[in-house]
Amino acid sequence: MPYSNEQSRRAFLSLCLKGGASIAALTSLQLQALASSASSSTINDYKALVCIFLHGGSDSLNMLVPTSGSERVDYELSRQNLVVTEPITLNTTTQFSGGVGLHPSMSALEPIFNAGQLGFVGGVGTLITPTSLADYKNKAVPLPGHLFSHNDQQATWMHGQEKVSLNTGWGARILERLNQHASFTSNISLAGANPWQVGANTTPYALNKNGITKINALKGYQPQVDHVKSIVDRLLSTTTNPIQDAYASRLSSSISNVQNMNALLEQAPTLNTQFSDNPLSEQLAAVAKSLSISNHTGNKRQIFFVSLGGFDTHDDQLIRQPALFATLATALSEFHSALAELSLQESVTTFTMSDFGRTLTSNGDGTDHGWAGNQLLMGAAVNGKELHGTMLSQQLESAIDVGGGRLIPQFSNEQYFAPIAKWFGLSDIEVSDIFPNLTNFDASALQLFR
Amino acid sequence: MKMRFLSVAAIVLLSACGGGGESNSNSNAAPDSSNSSNANAASPSGDRTESSSDTNTQDNVSSGSQADNTNEQSDHQSNADGNESSSEGNNEENEGAADNIGTAPIVDLKPPGAVLRKGNEIIINSVVTSPTENLTYAWMQVAGPEATLIGTDSQNLTVILPTTHSVEKDLFTFSLTVTNNAGLSTYVETDIESVNAMTELQASALLQQATLGATLTEIQAATGLSEEEWLDQQILLEPTYHTPFLENYPDRENPSHINRIDAWWKASLSAPDQLRQRVAFALSEIFVVSDANTSLKGEPEGMVAYYDTLLKHAFGNFRALLESVTLSPVMGVYLSHLGNEKADAERNIRPDENYAREVMQLFTIGLNELNLDGTAKLNDNNTIPTYSQQEIAGFAKVFTGWTFAYSARWDRPSRNYTLPMHAFSDYHSMEEKALLNGDIIPAGTGPEESMQQALDNLFSHQNVAPFISKQLIQRLVKSNPTPAYVERVASVFNDNGQGIRGDLAAVIKAILLDDEARKYSSVLVHSGKIKEPILTKVHLWRVLNARSELNRYYTWNLSTTYGQGPLLSPSVFNFFRPDHVPNELQGLGLVAPELQIATDSNMIATTNGHYGDLVWRMAERKNTLNPKTIYMYGQSDITMLSNNGLQALLDYYNLVYFAGSMSDSTRSALVDLDSYFARKDAVHRVAQLLYMVSLSPDFNYQN
Repeated sequence: MPYSNEQSRRAFLSLCLKGGASIAALTSLQLQALASSASSSTINDYKALVCIFLHGGSDSLNMLVPTSGSERVDYELSRQNLVVTEPITLNTTTQFSGGVGLHPSMSALEPIFNAGQLGFVGGVGTLITPTSLADYKNKAVPLPGHLFSHNDQQATWMHGQEKVSLNTGWGARILERLNQHASFTSNISLAGANPWQVGANTTPYALNKNGITKINALKGYQPQVDHVKSIVDRLLSTTTNPIQDAYASRLSSSISNVQNMNALLEQAPTLNTQFSDNPLSEQLAAVAKSLSISNHTGNKRQIFFVSLGGFDTHDDQLIRQPALFATLATALSEFHSALAELSLQESVTTFTMSDFGRTLTSNGDGTDHGWAGNQLLMGAAVNGKELHGTMLSQQLESAIDVGGGRLIPQFSNEQYFAPIAKWFGLSDIEVSDIFPNLTNFDASALQLFR
Repeated sequence: MKMRFLSVAAIVLLSACGGGGESNSNSNAAPDSSNSSNANAASPSGDRTESSSDTNTQDNVSSGSQADNTNEQSDHQSNADGNESSSEGNNEENEGAADNIGTAPIVDLKPPGAVLRKGNEIIINSVVTSPTENLTYAWMQVAGPEATLIGTDSQNLTVILPTTHSVEKDLFTFSLTVTNNAGLSTYVETDIESVNAMTELQASALLQQATLGATLTEIQAATGLSEEEWLDQQILLEPTYHTPFLENYPDRENPSHINRIDAWWKASLSAPDQLRQRVAFALSEIFVVSDANTSLKGEPEGMVAYYDTLLKHAFGNFRALLESVTLSPVMGVYLSHLGNEKADAERNIRPDENYAREVMQLFTIGLNELNLDGTAKLNDNNTIPTYSQQEIAGFAKVFTGWTFAYSARWDRPSRNYTLPMHAFSDYHSMEEKALLNGDIIPAGTGPEESMQQALDNLFSHQNVAPFISKQLIQRLVKSNPTPAYVERVASVFNDNGQGIRGDLAAVIKAILLDDEARKYSSVLVHSGKIKEPILTKVHLWRVLNARSELNRYYTWNLSTTYGQGPLLSPSVFNFFRPDHVPNELQGLGLVAPELQIATDSNMIATTNGHYGDLVWRMAERKNTLNPKTIYMYGQSDITMLSNNGLQALLDYYNLVYFAGSMSDSTRSALVDLDSYFARKDAVHRVAQLLYMVSLSPDFNYQN
């Protein structure tokens, strides 16, 4: 069957979804027809964003620490027993007084950093407008809602704006703005539902980290499978109220998406890169597998979401944090290798977000919810071997400490997101439209990409 | 129609009486009672007393029988009062009447003694002791919802009580006027009440909200009872705690994580106190602890003890529940207030804020000030935060100095995960502690007293009632309760009618007896919720008597298969948030919390899980059983299909799995599914039907 035009592609797709055609052994062109929709935009290159969300609020002010001078003295005074010793000195392009040291358990990132494919962003967090300590204390400026609360601050990071009546994530918004959201394969989550990927017209396809998921009821003798599928379709198309309908339409699309994704993933090459069996490596391995078939899916843009939990280190931080950072670094390093194998280093940018930074003060063996923190991003397009933004002073009761070592961000997270969105293909005007508070800041302060 | 009938009857009665006695014209009885009859038409129950006293101004003699009646009805205060006064009046009239004319009949009414159910046909007997002949009888309904009266002119009245139209009991008043051949009349009344008798479908609908998934036996046991009777029975049952079900892993000296899952299954499947089990499960999704990826995975006894704490307090007082949860060492470890120390300025150490924050945000009051109906209070269109960092710091100080019970020293904790935590004053912050609403715990207050004051402070906050009530409604009944429903339940939370705040049994009853849950009068569009995937599994397993020959329920992959499991939340924010608005419902502004975990991978995994249970592990399909494998037992379904046919089986499914909400289109799809398998054996057909039931929207939506 030739699929030379959109009409026949749709007819074929429809046939597949109705169970009228087997999806085994399809040609690449057919697979492309399955996965893509009419993205007749002018975009010619391929790019993907991979968001790594560090759930719980990473103490990222312990990911990058001062190595010398008064900055180091301040750091050791404030952090006391939670001080990171023997950090790895990073030779950032910009020099920072006190130096920039990387947590030693993240040594796997050092070669990527030195190769210029990894950069950091320092002193970033949720802000509506530039905020001084006096502003904060006098409530002279609007502040992000429910600072220091997990789910609220997670949502603010993922929405890229304060809560409104209809909330969308900025990942979904940039995908939709580029009109690249038509195929379910453009928007993939390895960590379930999340606000970053929910837009007006797109929601993430939740991919099992194992990739292919068989549907038990739809295996075996084909006439029976067809009959069962026809009954399933009937059941899922007759609902009586919107909540029930939401369930039915989700199950319906889950079945067709899983079947289609299986067909696509069966074409995936075997990668030489070995991924560890930690939860983040497993998710990034599945992302790499999905990226390996991007030539089949026909997407010009894709967004992926993975997450690593456990960063809410209220206690046992000295044990938990090194393990978490090591997992993050290992997984990133493996993913970096896989992208090199796929020759996708230039096309894929990976970056981190987290609920918030944490307090400089300790509660004995851990830290509490803070505000500003540090993030990282990786990829050949990234302006690497650099710390963008600033190394925040880790002195207590400084001019940016609102109490207990909760530091006021010096860069808003929207300033962090803007260059990423721009790299993804949005114009300056589109970027400022996507991020409503960006106008309160210097949108080009962080030159995150080459 | 009924009221018109009553008016006519009253007028007829009055003219009959008027012919018998001069004094009638002396009083204003005729016009008054005529008025009151008209008033009866508008509001029968409200005018009952007036009506009867008017009538008793006739020349009637009925003191003896009225007094008897009063005794029988002594639980109805207003009626008793009315009868008392009319009895006195009658005594005075009696003397004059006896002198002038003779003796009126003495009448006693004998309503049935047993509990009367709506829809029952009953007989009210009258006993006339006056030795007169040619008596005439005139029965009327004076008050209550319209009943069908048969034999209004005979000695005994047959009444067909109206069927169920409300969760409330119906109250009726019937009257009888007996007139003798001398024209002397006696008027007597009797009050009766009728309670609901749930049909099977009504029972199934209630049990769908109030159990972990009811079996046919449980539905039938509830059938014929009123909703309240069933709830009261359940509340009185002894709690089935889970700890006795916790066994050691085979060939090990101790239980492990999978043994606590096994214990949860055994108790959930078998416990008679299903309402308590369901409420405890709901509480476990509000007062979240989890051993998924935490050190608690190695503490199954502690985890089970925590669940038992929720069971214990499920029908107790919220304040006691809050204290037990707060002092649970499992919660102490999960939210890190166990081992939390007072500030040490030298080391820049201050109290851990984790529990202080979450006990407010998630367990008691939430982030924003609420109205009693659960909606947000607004100030210039902005929500009003309930607390700031100052209160968090204050509560963080409260939760210092606590560690495992029976610890010899602070730095030598006992690691007893089942007993409430114990305080060490030396490690407790003696500083002043800021609480909510400007309250302060003064400096120098010790750990136990600080804890009491802080929990009292939380418990007294006005948000607790709407915050907790709404979430319990969402776990049990529906995702989008109206503000009025939330307010009705929250009001009961604030005062159970006896001045007690936080009575959870009263709250649960208010939730389940509310008309928005029972739906006798109003039919609201968004009346239900998506069922939690794990609860669909428990329901299927309970009905199908799931078991392994080794009596083990080692379900290793609940989270990856169903997106949830008991005490397996990925974070303290539960598997889903109560305010989750799925994309499909954004435009309608509806929440559907359970759909937060309805991702592609979870939905497929859940349907695969059901398929594995219902099709692959249907015991009757096997020649030999693996002793470790959990099988479903579908023999009664198979027998029903073979003996009674498909429609009978679907009727049974409609009752047990759908609580009557199997739509015609779902039924016809199931019929067509079965037609393909018609030549296969009954067990195969049953398995396929059950699988299709398990994924159908009608089954997955609790209406």
